[in-house]
Amino acid sequence: MSGIATPMTRFDATDWRRVSRGLLLLAPLLAFLLVFYIMPFANMIGESFSYWSGDAKTGQGPTLFQYVKTLESARVLRALNRTFGIALNTVLITLLLSYPVAMLLLGVGRRLRTAILLVTFVSLASSLIIRNYGWVVVLADGGAVNSLLMALGLIDAPIRLMYSELAITLGLVHYAMPFMILPIYGTLLRLPPSLREASLSLGGSEWRTFLHVVLPLSLPGVFGGTMLTFAVSMSAFVTPLMLGSPRTAMISQVAAEQLLVQLNFAWGSAIIVVLTVITFAIVAIYAFLLRKVFRADV
Amino acid sequence: MSDRSIFHSVNSVIAWLSLAFLVFPVLLTVVVSFNASFFIEFPPKAFSLHWYGNIGKIHRIVDATLISAGIAIASGICACILAVGASLALSRSPLPGRAAITAFLLSPVTMPMVAIGIALVQFFISIGTAFTWYSLMIGHIVLVVAYPIRTLLASLALTNPALEEAAESLGGGRWTVFRTITLPQMKPGLVSGFLFASLISFDNYPISVFLVRGGITTMPIEIFNYITQNLDPTPAAFSTLYIVVISLVIALAEWRYRIISHTIP
Repeated sequence: MSGIATPMTRFDATDWRRVSRGLLLLAPLLAFLLVFYIMPFANMIGESFSYWSGDAKTGQGPTLFQYVKTLESARVLRALNRTFGIALNTVLITLLLSYPVAMLLLGVGRRLRTAILLVTFVSLASSLIIRNYGWVVVLADGGAVNSLLMALGLIDAPIRLMYSELAITLGLVHYAMPFMILPIYGTLLRLPPSLREASLSLGGSEWRTFLHVVLPLSLPGVFGGTMLTFAVSMSAFVTPLMLGSPRTAMISQVAAEQLLVQLNFAWGSAIIVVLTVITFAIVAIYAFLLRKVFRADV
Repeated sequence: MSDRSIFHSVNSVIAWLSLAFLVFPVLLTVVVSFNASFFIEFPPKAFSLHWYGNIGKIHRIVDATLISAGIAIASGICACILAVGASLALSRSPLPGRAAITAFLLSPVTMPMVAIGIALVQFFISIGTAFTWYSLMIGHIVLVVAYPIRTLLASLALTNPALEEAAESLGGGRWTVFRTITLPQMKPGLVSGFLFASLISFDNYPISVFLVRGGITTMPIEIFNYITQNLDPTPAAFSTLYIVVISLVIALAEWRYRIISHTIP
């Protein structure tokens, strides 16, 4: 018990004043989020446990009806499955494309580094709709890829590249790259160069040094980037609307359609709650694995 | 070739291809915007500025852009004001459970945007204030408030609290110390936080689409509707203007405030 008592007694009047000052500074934002973030989410979760006026069954108060319906709907399950597959591919491709850019940033001179970072930032700040539109220009029937293939004589008629899972994945990778490059570059920047030099001078090859020294130490940045990429891909909405078709619907689209078209708030809410829970559960398991298996500080 | 140079060559090749991938659709959009053809066509056969003149034909584009800009600036300012207090509290006072509070405050970024939109529209309908300018603005504050918190915490982590204690012991009042010592040190975080909050708000579609009906509309909603209903390259002309303006803003902010080094996590 003394172990607990000692720090308590050292918590004197000055500390109490600083804590209360901190609470006062924090209060406006906490109050704002309580009203406009916690309460709406609590309401939405409540809504997902209720019946909708058009449902076959009606009744009062909490029911798992909407969740049973979600798990029994082939369309929802297909969309969930597709969403997970697209998100996983997006994370892997984005990581493979972005890690080398972060490494390149470490090696180049100051001017080139600023230029590459500016391109990354402009990309991050450009409108998602505008960036997706860029992929429409690239992948459309009369677009760049088809024109090139036809000019080379490889195909006779344009092939349909748009409205596919491939188009959605390309759009999402393009969207997520800045989210991946910046945190990985951030952690690589903080690694002391002496660690790499030590490994090299002790006879480790570049590849071994990368695999056993640089990569493990950059895992916090990799975690930050992959987690954010996974979260935005799981909840992707605009990209599949623009580059996909109803056949490639992702889960956010299915939920939004229930709300905006059918006005079925109860089922739409249940679908979105399922998506949120699955996304957070996967991120939590992923963080746990990185901590336990790779002993990364994430 | 030595092991070392192979490693670096392979890395450089992939890195430059990735950067080309990042820039490629943007460059093509610029090229297509000057194309005379009525359809998206590549390579362009004739040069024309026609699609730039056509931007005005996008439904309510001026109106929608002004509303988006107003919402972006207002939600950016409100988010920054709320974030200044919160980030000071988190970095200066010995609050219990600071890590958990920080994780909670940053959580809207990882929440599905459609979930925020759906939750908020039901909430605003239930309190009878849905589909107004204010409800849209509040939705955008929820969306963007995590960005200034993150950049301000990064700025404050680089400052020395001893400076404030020194100023206070020299007789400076709490407000004077804040205004002359703390605030100037928070400025880089404040600038990049405001910039990102406003840009993210300006660009948002998935939350706005739920919170907007009738009289109120936003730029991304109108552009999206135009793209889905028309095949001509007018959006390419709009995109080109947008990218030029954003590039100038980012370059100016970097030159004046060094936002890049303050945002690297």
